[in-house]
Amino acid sequence: MADKTSLISASTCILSAGKRYILWFYLLNLAFAWLGAAAFSKSAHGILDHSLYADRVLHGLDLGVLEEMIGRPEFGPRRSSEAPALSFAFLFLLASLLFVPGVLLGYSSDHRISREEFFRTCGRNVWRFVRLAVVFALIAGIVTGIGSLMQGAGMNALDTSSQDDRRLALVEWLSLGLMFLFLTVMRIWFDLAETDVVLRERPAVRGSILWAFRAILSNFFPLLAAYLLAAITAAVILLAGIFLWHLVLPPQSVVGAFLVSQVTLVLLLAARFWQRAIAVAFYQRISTERALPLFATVRVPVTQAP
Amino acid sequence: MFFKQVVCILLLLGTIPAGAQVAGVAPSIPDTTLAINSPTPLSERVVHYEIDAKYDREKHVLDATETLTYHNLTGQELDTFPFHLYLNAFQPASSWVREAKREETPGGVFAQWDPQNYGAVEIKKFEVVDQGDLASQLEFVHPDDDNQEDKTVVQARLPQPIPPNGYVQFKIRFHDQFPETLARTGWNRDSVLGGQWFPKVGVWWHGAWNCHQFHYDTEFFADFGVYDVKLTLAQNEVVGASGVELDTVNNRDGTKTVTYHGDDIHDFAWTASPHFKDYYDTFQGSLGPVKIRIMLQPSHWSQAERHDRIVKETMERFETWYGPYPYKTLTVVDPEPGSEAGGMEYPTFITGDAAWFWPKGYLETEVVVSHEFGHQYWYGMVATNEFEDAWMDEGINTYTEIKVMDSIFGPRTSVINLPGATLGDSEEQRLSYLGVADLDPITRYGWQYADSASYGGITYGKTGLVLLTLENMLGENTMQRAMQTYFMRYRFTHPTKEDFLKTIEEASGKDLRWYFNQAVDGTQVLDYEVFKVRSYPVDWYEHKLTEKKGQTEYVSNVWIHRKNDFVFPVDLDVKFDNGETIRERWDGKDRWARYTYQKKAQIASVEIDPEHRIEFDRNNFNNSYIVKAVKAPARKLVNYWTFCSQLLAQLLAWWMV
Repeated sequence: MADKTSLISASTCILSAGKRYILWFYLLNLAFAWLGAAAFSKSAHGILDHSLYADRVLHGLDLGVLEEMIGRPEFGPRRSSEAPALSFAFLFLLASLLFVPGVLLGYSSDHRISREEFFRTCGRNVWRFVRLAVVFALIAGIVTGIGSLMQGAGMNALDTSSQDDRRLALVEWLSLGLMFLFLTVMRIWFDLAETDVVLRERPAVRGSILWAFRAILSNFFPLLAAYLLAAITAAVILLAGIFLWHLVLPPQSVVGAFLVSQVTLVLLLAARFWQRAIAVAFYQRISTERALPLFATVRVPVTQAP
Repeated sequence: MFFKQVVCILLLLGTIPAGAQVAGVAPSIPDTTLAINSPTPLSERVVHYEIDAKYDREKHVLDATETLTYHNLTGQELDTFPFHLYLNAFQPASSWVREAKREETPGGVFAQWDPQNYGAVEIKKFEVVDQGDLASQLEFVHPDDDNQEDKTVVQARLPQPIPPNGYVQFKIRFHDQFPETLARTGWNRDSVLGGQWFPKVGVWWHGAWNCHQFHYDTEFFADFGVYDVKLTLAQNEVVGASGVELDTVNNRDGTKTVTYHGDDIHDFAWTASPHFKDYYDTFQGSLGPVKIRIMLQPSHWSQAERHDRIVKETMERFETWYGPYPYKTLTVVDPEPGSEAGGMEYPTFITGDAAWFWPKGYLETEVVVSHEFGHQYWYGMVATNEFEDAWMDEGINTYTEIKVMDSIFGPRTSVINLPGATLGDSEEQRLSYLGVADLDPITRYGWQYADSASYGGITYGKTGLVLLTLENMLGENTMQRAMQTYFMRYRFTHPTKEDFLKTIEEASGKDLRWYFNQAVDGTQVLDYEVFKVRSYPVDWYEHKLTEKKGQTEYVSNVWIHRKNDFVFPVDLDVKFDNGETIRERWDGKDRWARYTYQKKAQIASVEIDPEHRIEFDRNNFNNSYIVKAVKAPARKLVNYWTFCSQLLAQLLAWWMV
């Protein structure tokens, strides 16, 4: 229990010291989303800006009017709005892949790392992170794929035999919960491996993956509890944000809605960075215990604060 | 008469097996009133069905004997009798399945033929009393298409014709194979919904037999009469059916026999499942009490009061607006989850739609139950031809459904009323109409629509919107009076399109053919737009002109345009930036109209149909024009879009990196 508390408090300190990373990632997230929303924005403004009918999406959100707008030929095919949004979401994923090594270095460092250090670390680790992501996707894909197949088969069997749709939903939620737990464990594993790759500068990611696997086995519950705490916090933030947005703010408050939604997203991002800070704090602790060489990249002299 | 009544009562009490003929008694149609709150029959009873059926839950099959007494009220001799065999629609080469296949998207129900979809009704014996067994002489006919494989209509040619006002009795033995629920009939797990399950005679209508094949997008048509049905099934089944339950007898073989009786109805449906949980209530109708029975899935028990409330509130409105509900019972079935049995109407018996997790602000249960109850009037009592005039039951019923739902839950919140999102019933219908607006006229035969989307969008959606617009033109009271007159005049008959339209014209005192010709018979689309708005200073040619609000005089022009071919007179509100509003009236006959004003004000906005009387304008966005753009609505939507994109990006990154 004491270990878990210290892990959380250590990670909170790391998170607090590296707030700027959250801000930069958030700005990237927002910029990409804006670019991705440009087509939707153009179409929506084209149809709504000069029409009194549009008032029904402002004072309340009338789904009929919204659907009607999306169905208008001048709105264009849905794909023309969806494709950019999906593409820029994928770009954010790639950007994360690129810049997370720098964040991990910053989190593990006892001082503010330079911009040069940050980007050098990013550049040095990009291919390693791609390989890690591929291995993660393979393992997670295979296991969740099998899990989904089993879930489908189980649900079908239950559906054939029972008319109780509550039971069906319960089984579905339980299996989704199990998959979520599995993916969380996977995330801990690969977060540790990523941390190890960056901080120990392992050229072969295989060693980091194996090391992280052993590390997680010996500290499973404290790590899982800490990660789950961050995930639950994220869920609460999201729900609270949506609640505030839709139940407290007046429907016509566009600026208010924007602020609430963006604060929600910043905090959501912070929850994920908190998990990374947990991984770094954990890594630091066991490295200290086992006197592992740490902070490989700190050898680079600090030249300039970003 | 007295003897006939005694025989009928004995039959009802089960002392004489259903289908048995009493020696020396001429066949007749009973004038019983056990199932209605009326001392006398309400309809001209043409048929009397006595069916004794045994259902095998394991095999999903039913074996039955049917005695049909038919009263020839056609005024002429009849020597041929067509019968519907609806369950034969669920066979790979039937017209129903061919049409379903035509509609299907890849991966749908009929991507591959599943033997569980097979349904059939097989006639084992077809005896015409005093004329012998004609089973071997029955022939399948195809009045609607050339599909020789379709077996949904069978015809019997009698050796001796039935004279006018004569009776004929058919003694039929048949075997049903139910499919896994399709088109609201069949089995799911250990439940069954028995709809369109017995050989049913066609309707002599307008001098000919009207007995269409069963199509993917058609429903049913039958004569009024009396139904006496005995169902034998496992003792643990909870059974519900059309009409009133007379008694239940437990048999020695572990089965039970439940006897039902229905008066002045034109179909009989039933359901059975060991799981149903009953919720009872009574509605005090103007003709007497109506016993409401809601047969719920145990997991939906929390939704019982929602069902009860909407049933009673709908009944109350129908009684007040249109006329009395005369039956003693109403059974509402919450069908097996995942089945195709939801949202269906049969006389005094309807199926709804529910899920345990639906919040109170999601009103699908209410919409469906209210709609299906409405069919007790528009189909059940005003028994229009659903094959040929689907709009007269589904469409008129959609209109009354919107009226009921809007009056209870509000016009913009009668389907979804959740924090941050709303949807009205008329809007939902509008959405179904917009994509198919010019494909088919309302009056097309059900199976002749371009596709199912058009059938749904036009039959339900367009008709509902056309009648709402008509109400906005005539006034709510006039429309209600027209609908009430129509119901009271044509209940327990088979009215036609003209009967309905003439009743509205009569009640309103107006010639509405210009409207009906376009909206009902035509495919004209209504789309008006504010085409252009321009204002310029009168002395625009002056050098160094400085414009001052309230002082500079402007010439303003407004163009409005009828984009499509539906001509409809409209109002137009022109608002100026000094607060003044001018209302114009345009007959819409030309393609466009221009209005010119000279004022010390510029135009701020223009709106066609400012009172929103037209419900089926294809594009509501171009009905108005605000000169100075208002960006807040689009920004609000863009914010949603951005939020969702950001969230998606974050979640992707959360799990992948």
